Order: sequence, then structure tokens, then C-alpha cells
Amino acid sequence: MELFDNLLLGLSTALQLNNLIYCLIGVVIGTAIGVLPGIGPIPTVALLLPFTFGLAPASALIMLAGIFYGAQYGGSTTAILVNVPGETSSVVTCLDGHEMAKRGRAGPALAIAAISSFFAGTVATVVIAVLSLPLAALALKFTAVEYFSLLVLGLFAAVILAHGSVAKSLAMVFLGLLIGTVGIDVNSGVARMTFGIPALSDGLDFVPVAMGMFGLAEIIANLERPAVRQVVSQKLRDLIPSRADLRAAFPAMLRGTVIGSALGVLPGGGAALPPFTAYALEKKVAKDPSRFGKGAIEGVAGPEAANNAGAQTSFIPLLTLGIPANALMALMIGALMMQGIQPGPQVMTEQPELVWGVIASMWTGNLMLLVINLPLVGLWVSMLKIPYRLLFPAIVLFCCIGTYGISNSAFNVWLMLGCAVVGYFFIKVGVEPAPLLLGLVLGPQLEENFRRAMQLSDGDPSVFVTRPISALLLLVVAVMLLAMLSPAVLKTRERALAE
Amino acid sequence: MTRRRFGWPDLLFGGFLIVVAAGTLVATRNLVGGTAADMGPGYMPRAIALMLLAFGVFFAVRGVLRGPVGIETVQLRPILGVGAAVGVFALLIESGGLALASFAAILIAAVASRESRFFEVILFGLGVTAAAVLLFVKALALPVSIWPW
Repeated sequence: MELFDNLLLGLSTALQLNNLIYCLIGVVIGTAIGVLPGIGPIPTVALLLPFTFGLAPASALIMLAGIFYGAQYGGSTTAILVNVPGETSSVVTCLDGHEMAKRGRAGPALAIAAISSFFAGTVATVVIAVLSLPLAALALKFTAVEYFSLLVLGLFAAVILAHGSVAKSLAMVFLGLLIGTVGIDVNSGVARMTFGIPALSDGLDFVPVAMGMFGLAEIIANLERPAVRQVVSQKLRDLIPSRADLRAAFPAMLRGTVIGSALGVLPGGGAALPPFTAYALEKKVAKDPSRFGKGAIEGVAGPEAANNAGAQTSFIPLLTLGIPANALMALMIGALMMQGIQPGPQVMTEQPELVWGVIASMWTGNLMLLVINLPLVGLWVSMLKIPYRLLFPAIVLFCCIGTYGISNSAFNVWLMLGCAVVGYFFIKVGVEPAPLLLGLVLGPQLEENFRRAMQLSDGDPSVFVTRPISALLLLVVAVMLLAMLSPAVLKTRERALAE
Repeated sequence: MTRRRFGWPDLLFGGFLIVVAAGTLVATRNLVGGTAADMGPGYMPRAIALMLLAFGVFFAVRGVLRGPVGIETVQLRPILGVGAAVGVFALLIESGGLALASFAAILIAAVASRESRFFEVILFGLGVTAAAVLLFVKALALPVSIWPW
């Protein structure tokens, strides 16, 4: 069985002592930033990227991945206990989780959230393992033409399925693509839009862009809002859920896992969509929907399972096709590139121990999370007592040091400052910065494949619709765009994303 | 209020895109465009800039027609405080060393919040600076000097 061979290979990588340690570091950092509102996984991963340079590729990715799914766990802890969603993905958990806590059932709520997440994480690991092989095999047949169409599909789908206005997000993708063209043109060796600045000849680094737009701009915007934070002191007497709790939660857990796994694979699915969808479904299938919002355990189990499953399966397009499903995966691509690995379908065959090691590490990481979250929950909650007035200067400083650390250049720090101002402007005019990051990371690949495809076809753009796979991919893009114009779909999307 | 007549978020975003697109077209005016079969370095930037221009015009027009939508007032204190902290860090890191740059960045960043307390920030700044030096220079081996000398 090839699947088992692969998983065993992965486990042997993930269980190496140093990889276990990096995995632990990743999930601990992830839980911490998940608990703390005001700093999300994107700036954290961007911050740590420069320091993964010296690690083996597998260790680097294992740690960064741990931050991502660890943040989902941490986010739900604060959602339940304090009614503050640490991450967007745990907004739904607040609804019923915090209600349960108010009724003195914080323990079972936390336990169910952790068990659901662990269960979903385990299933999602298997889903990744099963789906990866055929996808990678298919992708190996791709030429520049198909690859270009796939990138287009990835970008469009990410925009359409993410929240925010589609037109604005598309504009942001193009903005990102434009920034991606800065630097020396690979084909001709001519400097483009570098304005004579030597630091720009290698192109704009996406780490300062990500940290400026996601880290600093968020801080500036947060500081404008008055700080409201009340820590509910909850006695956690019994963490163990009753048999009735488990019986009620289990089907919801299963449904959540299925929804999360399916939506996570889609570009743009990422963290926000799965829990909302799972919550809506639980409400729909429940015999008595009025219980929701008043402490229904299904309302915790379903979304928690969905967000964890989704967080993990969003690695599938990255690992098999080299296409990031969301801004965070775009940073992962960056991590690969910093390691000198060109992301794409060939990674799976050329670096099997990397890919399978990362997949297997998700399971070990989830196990660690279960252990470090349930018994230590008090410790994490006490982190919330750190006031924001102290937290934010430290984050600002770490962003500065991290940006400087990529290539020891003060230029990058200035660049980050510029991006922070632009990012603040985007927040003010209500535009999501995530699509820009996707465009920036994918831009060079997109241009490269487009130019190669056009060279092959002698400048005839019809090649993209005459090759069957490429035509199919572009057809999906067209259908999605047309669907967005239909008012019915638009309304459903708004409801699903804005609930 | 007359200022409220427009849909400001759309109008400003559209204007921003138009400026970026125009800037790109000016900056790439000397690059070879080439043909679709043999693209020069200027082909893609110009093509993308034209798309951005179209988006920019679309949003700007929508902003003028739809409205009135205001934007939240800009508060200067957070943006100036955080901005100055980052700027000072960039100026100090190479000549002043990590310890000085870190301490200065923490102090200045704290100005961004009304809630900061003077002595608390000094103590906290010293602590974080020490932690940053230990973490980044000692543990993660970032090649940067710690002190100005």
C-alpha cells in the first residue's frame, strides 16, 4: 500500500526528536497567539520566516504549520472563556461556547472543543494523505499553459470564496501582481520599477509587506478602538464531558469534519468559511434550533471540528500543486522558496519526506495540542491578563527585528513602514489585504508561465482554451465569476460569510 | 455636510488605484513592451497597470455615484506613534545596535496608546530589550551588533 508507506515515511520524519521539538514550539506559539487577540498567525509566521532559514526544510514547515493549526485551538479557548475570539475562525465558537461557560459548563465546552479539533485533525490528516497522490500525479502532466490556468483559478477562487467585496479583492490581486513584477526581469535582465534602489532589484520581499499590512496596520487600527477586555474567572471543576454531551456532540463533530475538509481544500476556504457553514448546518439539522445561541454543545463541536479540518486540508493545494489557498499558505510558499525549493507538483516526488513529514506532523501536533490545552488551560487564560498597552509595543518591536532579520537591511524596515501606512489606508476604506499577498507571491510564477505559454503558442492566446485541462480550469473560473453576478448566489454568500 | 455626499471609501480606493496605475505607466515608459509571442520586460507591468486603471476608474465612479458613505475618522496618535517607532528602529539598528534600537522603539511605540504609563513602559522596555537580545542574537544568531560601540 503506497498510502501506508507514505504515511510511515512521514511519521518517521515527524517523530525525529528535533522535528518533534519544532512541532511543539510551533503549536505552543500558535496557541499563544491564538489566545491573544490583536496578533494573528499571518504576522507571526511572517516574523518567524527569516529564522527558519537555517533549519531543514521539513522542520521549518512543520513548525510554521504548527503555528497555524495551534492558533485555531488557542482561539477557541478564549472564545469560550472570555467571549473574545482570538482568531476569526473562532467567532462562531463564541456563540454557544461562551453561553455554556456562563452556565458553569466551561469545562465540558473546552473539552468538547479540543476533542472535536483533535478528531477533525486526525481525519483531515488522512484526507490529505489520500487526496495528495492523485492530485500530484495529475499536476505532473501540466505544462506552462495548464499551470497558468491553474494559477488563475487559484487566485480567482481565493478571491470569490474569501470575505469582502469581490471587485475590491480582484483589484487587490492585480495590485499584488503588479508589486510582484518589481525587480529584475528574469528573461531580459532589465530592472523594472526599482527606481534605482539596489535593494529592490531582487523584488519586494513579501515578509515586510505581510508584516506591515497584517501586523502593524492592525495594531494601529486596534489602538483607535477603546480597549474592552474582561476576564471571566471561571472555575474549571470538571473538564470531562458527560456521556450525554459526547453523544450529542459526536454527530456534529462528524458533520463538521466533513464540511471543514471539503471547504478547506477550496482556495480561499482557509479558516473563516468552514466554521460558519458548519454552524449553519447544525442549526438546520437540529430538532430544536432555538437551543442554539443558548449553549448548545453541537454549536461548539461542529464549528470547532470544521475549522480544524479546514485549516489542515488547506495544505492540500499547497503541497500538491504549489498553489496557496489563502494568505497564510502564500507565506508557506515563501518558506519553501527561502529553502531553495520551487513549489509545485514536483515537490511531492522530489521531496517525499518533506511533504509526508509535514502531513504526519499535523497528527503529532494535534496530539500535543490536546495535551497542552486541556490541563494547562488556566495558564493560557492568564495570558489574557497581559494588557494590550504592553503587548503592542512588543509586537511592533518584534516585527521590526524580524523584518530586519530577513536580509539584515534597514530598507526592509522602511518598506514595512510604508506597507503599514498603506495597510491602514486599506482598513479605512474597507479593503481586505489578503488577496494582495496572494498576488504578490504568485505573481512571478504567473508571469513566467504566461510568457512561456505565449512563446510556445507563438503569441496565440487561444491556446488556453484549446488545451482541454486548461480550458476546464478556465471554465470553472468563468462559471464562478458568472455565478457571482447572480443576485441569489451573492445573497447566500453574504449570509454565509457575514453571519 | 457636503463632504458626506460621496461614497468616500470607494472614491479613495479608486483614486489610489489610479495613482498607482499612472505611476507604473510612467515608471515603465522606457521598458521594451515586445509582442505577445515575445514579451519584453514592460509587457506585464503595463498590462496589469491598465487593469488597475480600469478598476480605479470603476471604483472612483461608483464612489461618486453611490453615497453618502463616510470613513471612520483617522486618529493621528496611533499611526504616528507606531510609525515613528518603526522609523527610529530603522535609523538606529545599524549604527546604534539592537539594544538601543529596541529600547527606543518600545518607548516610542508606547506613545501611540493613551493608556501607557511612564514607569511601567520603561521597566517593560528594559525587559523586552533584554529578551530580544537574548532571543534574536544569542539564540537565533541574528548577525547584528548589540551595542553602538
